[in-house]
Amino acid sequence: MASLFQQSMPSTGPGYSFASAPTHHSSSGPRQHAFYPYTDNGGSTLGISGATFTILAGDTRSTSGYNINSRYAPKLFRIGGDGPENEGARIVLSVVGFAADGNALKERLDTMVKMYRYQHGKEISVHACAQRLSHILYGKRFFPYYVTAILGGLDDEGKGALYSYDPVGSYEREQCRAAGAASSLIMPFLDNQVNLKNQYDPASGEGLEKVMRVPEPLPQETVEQLVRDAFTSAVERHIEVGDGLQMMIITKEGVQETFTPLKKD
Amino acid sequence: MDALVAQYSQPSHSAQDTTLDDSLALSSKIAPPLSLNFELPPIDSHSAWLRAMTDDHSNPQCPIKIAHGTTTLAFRFKGGIIVATDSRATAGNWIASQTVKKVIEINSCLLGTMAGGAADCQYWLAYLGMMCRLHELRHKRRISVAAASKILANLVYSYKGMGLSMGTMCAGVTPTEGPALYYVDNDGTRLAGNMFCVGSGQTFAYGVLDAEYKYEMEEDEALELGKRSILAATHRDAFSGGFINLYHVKEEGWVKHGFMDTNPIFWKTKLEKGEFSNVTSKLE
Amino acid sequence: MVGVRFKEVEKRDQAVITTGHSTPHLTPPYTPPITTTMPGFDFSNHNRNLALHSRGVPLPKATSTGTTIVGCLYDGGVVIAADTRATSGPIVADKNCEKLHYISPQIWCAGAGTAADTEFTTALISSNLELHALSTGRKPRVVTVMTMLKQHLFRYQGHIGAYLVVAGCDPTGAHLFTVHAHGSTDKLPYVTMGSGSLAAMSVFETQWKNSMTRDEAVALCAQAIQAGIFNDLGSGSNVDVCVITKEKTELLRNYITPNVREQKMRNYKFAKGTTAVLDQKVITKEEISKYVTVQDIGDGETGVGEKMEVDS
Repeated sequence: MASLFQQSMPSTGPGYSFASAPTHHSSSGPRQHAFYPYTDNGGSTLGISGATFTILAGDTRSTSGYNINSRYAPKLFRIGGDGPENEGARIVLSVVGFAADGNALKERLDTMVKMYRYQHGKEISVHACAQRLSHILYGKRFFPYYVTAILGGLDDEGKGALYSYDPVGSYEREQCRAAGAASSLIMPFLDNQVNLKNQYDPASGEGLEKVMRVPEPLPQETVEQLVRDAFTSAVERHIEVGDGLQMMIITKEGVQETFTPLKKD
Repeated sequence: MDALVAQYSQPSHSAQDTTLDDSLALSSKIAPPLSLNFELPPIDSHSAWLRAMTDDHSNPQCPIKIAHGTTTLAFRFKGGIIVATDSRATAGNWIASQTVKKVIEINSCLLGTMAGGAADCQYWLAYLGMMCRLHELRHKRRISVAAASKILANLVYSYKGMGLSMGTMCAGVTPTEGPALYYVDNDGTRLAGNMFCVGSGQTFAYGVLDAEYKYEMEEDEALELGKRSILAATHRDAFSGGFINLYHVKEEGWVKHGFMDTNPIFWKTKLEKGEFSNVTSKLE
Repeated sequence: MVGVRFKEVEKRDQAVITTGHSTPHLTPPYTPPITTTMPGFDFSNHNRNLALHSRGVPLPKATSTGTTIVGCLYDGGVVIAADTRATSGPIVADKNCEKLHYISPQIWCAGAGTAADTEFTTALISSNLELHALSTGRKPRVVTVMTMLKQHLFRYQGHIGAYLVVAGCDPTGAHLFTVHAHGSTDKLPYVTMGSGSLAAMSVFETQWKNSMTRDEAVALCAQAIQAGIFNDLGSGSNVDVCVITKEKTELLRNYITPNVREQKMRNYKFAKGTTAVLDQKVITKEEISKYVTVQDIGDGETGVGEKMEVDS
């Protein structure tokens, strides 16, 4: 929708349109703004939901510029649950972008989910939690969290539920979603392998008679393999992704966490 | 009834449990309720700063890419109102999603459409739904489309210049107004009309719609026209695409007429009707 | 992955180079417009690009070798080494590129910065050095290379983004220099450059010692490169090493390969007929031979040329 509003928007402050910027300054590097509270900490996350489970995954590298801040900085968080480790949680949040904002967001959502339990005497549903997260993000519409969030859990029927967000809280329930630095590398792969985009039934007719393949919920083992392959491939071609792969698998038994090393270069 | 309204205007537990006061105070500090307490950056020029960070149009290198929505249309005809949209969301040049629901079901008789910032539309149309429900409870009858659209227009007007981005249509049928259609956008414009197309693909949709539109259309003709107009827009506008979402608003309420993949519809239209002859499927 | 390959660099052919005019000097019937025959860089798009850039159109990304390159002198020679990652922004453009460039048989150069600039600058200096060697009749010296590079780069005021480590052996001994894009140079016993230079230098600063052996120097350089590979995002993949002594030059391509990709979990072969095809046209050999020369190769034989590197 980038081109809906062709004219520059009305403003009380100084304009920031490139068209009106002095030409001789702007050619020398990116525009600097006095107040810049964000850093991109790189990394990537992805989530896929199945018939009875949801898998969330993220690499554990944290970067700034060409430097590695940490080789183990988790991007996946259990939401709700008990104790410092959030045991017994049934909802997982993944955040990628600016780690400090991601952490603040996680803390906030976790508190909200716990407050819900204290006040209502029952666990929050993923549906309600997803909406709450949207509202938390939108609460900072004018000073956004620099994050892309993915929320995973099981819905009221026990089916895998996955919600993806933009930085200011627009959200949608989906089958799969990749976010972060390597999202443009991983998402097309997921479109093709999970939603079977651009795949037609080889047995069907020729040319325009061909029938599109219909996506079905994938078995858990297949999804785990797809997630691994997505990350080992992203590591090959994106410098900000690597070091380790953290996976959380949400089933009716609870949240199972795994860690696999990735290439460290 | 006032008791009922009061009950829904405040958190239900606030009356029954005073020991929760502390925790409520805490929770309201952690996340603002729906009551318009938005956090602002600690500087003087919020809107300019926000634009530098998020406005992809004026600054393609902006760090935060907000998802945007795209071609939407709605028109009145003798059988009610047709509402149709595409389903693509873009963040810069990146297609963020092909499956966005851009028709927002405010209640069983009112529909809203989203173009502009996806989060802005989702959030404020949900808020509008809440206000409409409260209106129903207060006045013991459904809100008129005029009133609903005005709530939204007043709301966005109060945020004018802050950087909201929405171009929305409210469509509904009420006993007092009949089928009614309003356009509301982020600078506070509110227009009643028979036909609107909103979004980057609006011109392409208008092209088809203006050529074929008649008030006296039958229902199936009108649905087909809505679908065909969105198809034209998805074909020519890079920021539109995905699926066609079709709704028909009648006196009894709205009816959904599918969420259809554009690609097979495009080929069907081309091969069966001989349209889109600029696209070839043959070599040489 | 490719195993360690030792390759001795043969002397390049120096036989036939004529110094006369290659074309007969005729008086042209007209003077061609100066614009088309101006030597050097073409700046005709400069103003247009400046205007585009000011309107927010980003410049096309040049492939840069956000690199780790090092060099180290030892008793009897000099070693240079490099990683093999080339990047374009955050994307890895080449996982196994060569950053060690030939200048002359006994002089080699490790390049960081804009890939094309290091490639062409070293190639240009290499050519000029050859001519220089021929006209003087002496073996080329490392200082000469360094001087030619700095004069060339200084002339372009840093716009040629080549950051180089020059190393080699000549009649005056083994030498090691660095040359920056703006034209400044340094002469040191151990040097590092590129985005991973700090990581690599930390290895040298803790482990370097005077009068090392060949093997010690190679191991130290390789370790310095690995520090860059693992701690700098701009560097990665493998270690290339070049050892130059008075007698010979050894290029150790992929000396260490610490980042071999693991096997994929799934197979991604599509069944034939998965992709929809609107129409197809078969071009026969006869038709194609109107435009190119067609040569049959037997079944099972692969064509000549380097085999493409593919996964699994």
